[in-house]
Amino acid sequence: MHRLLLALLLTFLLSFGARAEGGRPVDLRIVVADDAAPLAYRDESGQLTGFSVEIARALCSEIGANCVFDVVAEGDALPRLLQGKADIAATGIFETREQRGKLIQADPYYRSFSLWLGPADASPGRKGVRVAVVGGSIQEDYARRQGWNIKVVRSSGELTRMLIADEAQAALVPMIAALQMQKNRAFRGLGLAPTVLRAPELSGDISFGISPHRPHLKNDINAALARIKRNGTYDRINSRFLPFRVS
Amino acid sequence: MPEAVPSRRGLPAGRAFGLLAAVFVIAFGVAVLLLAKDQQRVIEVNDRLQERTFPEIIRYQRLARNLEQLRQEGERIFAVSSHASRQQSMFVVTLIASHPSVLEHPEAAKLAREVEQFLGQVVAQSARSDKRPTSHYDEWQGIAARLGILVDDISFEGINLAGSDLQQASTAMNLARYKLVAVLLLVSLFLVVLVVLVRRHLIHPLQRIDHALSGLSADKPAPLFNTSRLLEIQAVEEAIREHHDLLVQNEEIRRGLESLANKDGLTGLMNRRHFMQSAEVELQRAQRYRRPVTVAMADLDFFKKLNDTYGHAAGDVVLKAFAERVREALRQSDLVCRYGGEEFAFLFPEISTVETVKLAERLRAGCADNAVLLPDGRPVTVTVSIGLAEASECSIEAALRHADEALYAAKRQGRNRVVIDDAKAVTNPIQENP
Repeated sequence: MHRLLLALLLTFLLSFGARAEGGRPVDLRIVVADDAAPLAYRDESGQLTGFSVEIARALCSEIGANCVFDVVAEGDALPRLLQGKADIAATGIFETREQRGKLIQADPYYRSFSLWLGPADASPGRKGVRVAVVGGSIQEDYARRQGWNIKVVRSSGELTRMLIADEAQAALVPMIAALQMQKNRAFRGLGLAPTVLRAPELSGDISFGISPHRPHLKNDINAALARIKRNGTYDRINSRFLPFRVS
Repeated sequence: MPEAVPSRRGLPAGRAFGLLAAVFVIAFGVAVLLLAKDQQRVIEVNDRLQERTFPEIIRYQRLARNLEQLRQEGERIFAVSSHASRQQSMFVVTLIASHPSVLEHPEAAKLAREVEQFLGQVVAQSARSDKRPTSHYDEWQGIAARLGILVDDISFEGINLAGSDLQQASTAMNLARYKLVAVLLLVSLFLVVLVVLVRRHLIHPLQRIDHALSGLSADKPAPLFNTSRLLEIQAVEEAIREHHDLLVQNEEIRRGLESLANKDGLTGLMNRRHFMQSAEVELQRAQRYRRPVTVAMADLDFFKKLNDTYGHAAGDVVLKAFAERVREALRQSDLVCRYGGEEFAFLFPEISTVETVKLAERLRAGCADNAVLLPDGRPVTVTVSIGLAEASECSIEAALRHADEALYAAKRQGRNRVVIDDAKAVTNPIQENP
């Protein structure tokens, strides 16, 4: 008799649990950096924010997903995505030849190009100039292919510190990272001149990466991105973090 | 041998209305397909607006916003006295002028590059100064004005992108509206045609059939129909005509049978059974309204002798001749029958016994004064004895018995005379024959 009651109780609890699971919104694990202002950083209260983070939040809201943000180094985002430890990488990803076929990329959420920030008399790649780049970025790939003397850092935030400390005399950075560096008084004091590099592999569309383990997310993310671009949400976030439209 | 059925020319109703329905379904289906095509076109235009045109318009708005930002950064360079601030603005100008969104629009890219070069020179010239640069401001105002105009142009260029789509949607919707009106007209036309055809080929023929059936009688001519084009109606009309023919035939048969049942075959007068029925009715009517009525019995004198002398054929001729004289002598309302053999019964309505004597006498005299020509050409005179009786207060049987008694009295008194029951004979011509 007791066994029967126990079985009934277990059946009830399991069925209740199944209903609760079914009614809950989808959980998405999103990897972001917290040292890549203005794309992803922590505000004065320690909360994660930034252009990429808020776009990710808006997308989660659009698709009705319960999103959880995991902070990682910029270079660690893609490996975690490929391993299935994260669903989305909101770190701003260029599609590279190596990634093609392995990684799923959503539609672009902004367009970027790369800047050489160096002494006014030093053209890009001049001998004797050490160039700071973020590890794992297309800028690092480009600098390596060019045979430049590079200094690899873990995040965009470290670039400024590296230049101020004169551990590097120039930096090859994405457009938005340069914007953030320009806000630093000590950096401006270095008097580095910006030069836009027109190499095709240094400019293009930036998108969120999607785990190959959850390919169906791509359509949801793309549809949500199209909606927030139409309904003004995207532009409000753009204005909040960047001085001009980057789409 | 069965009568040949006339072949009918027309359409079966099911096929006719099925054909009409098929035509309608095809026409309506085509119209609906055309409407669906227009609707699909509107949906496609709407999808294009949502998926391509609106994002493109927004892209133009963002480009315009960047150019406006370019103008604002330029104003800031001329407005601030801090060289660092000018550098910051210049940096933003560089980024905007190099951004793909600006570069992909040739006119915007050209002006942005011009702005970048101009402002770069201004910033470079004021690098060592913390004063606002004023020397090139007039020139800048010209560039800024061109930027403002380009912002407006690009804004409207984007908005106008929707014009084509909206025009297509509007055209498709207008076309759909016309087609919808055409569909409604088609449906209305079909309903009108259907009502007209149903009235003309079903309701009106059925009304005519109903009218014909209501008045169908053997006494009236066969109904005439405007031959319908529907075979089923034609069949019913043909059946009604055949039915009318049957009615006429039946009526003729009925009349023949009635004649056989009510008339004496030789003389054509009523037979005894029919006379008794009719006399009973007439007698009841006379008694109800207290009207005078008289009955009579007549018998040809020496008829047996005539038969024996001239043969039965001669007897039949005499009987027929007597019947003819009866018809000539009596009134239309009088009833007469061959009561049996050479004996005849009469009923005279609306006339008293005394007045009836005149009629009876005329008959008697007519017989006595006119010889009958036999088939062999010989003339023969046959007299008749008649007995009359009052019938207004007794049954027909009793009245006829009284008349019969008067007849026998007439016979006893010498024949060829009229005798009233319980009265003496009024005529007295004793002329025995033959």
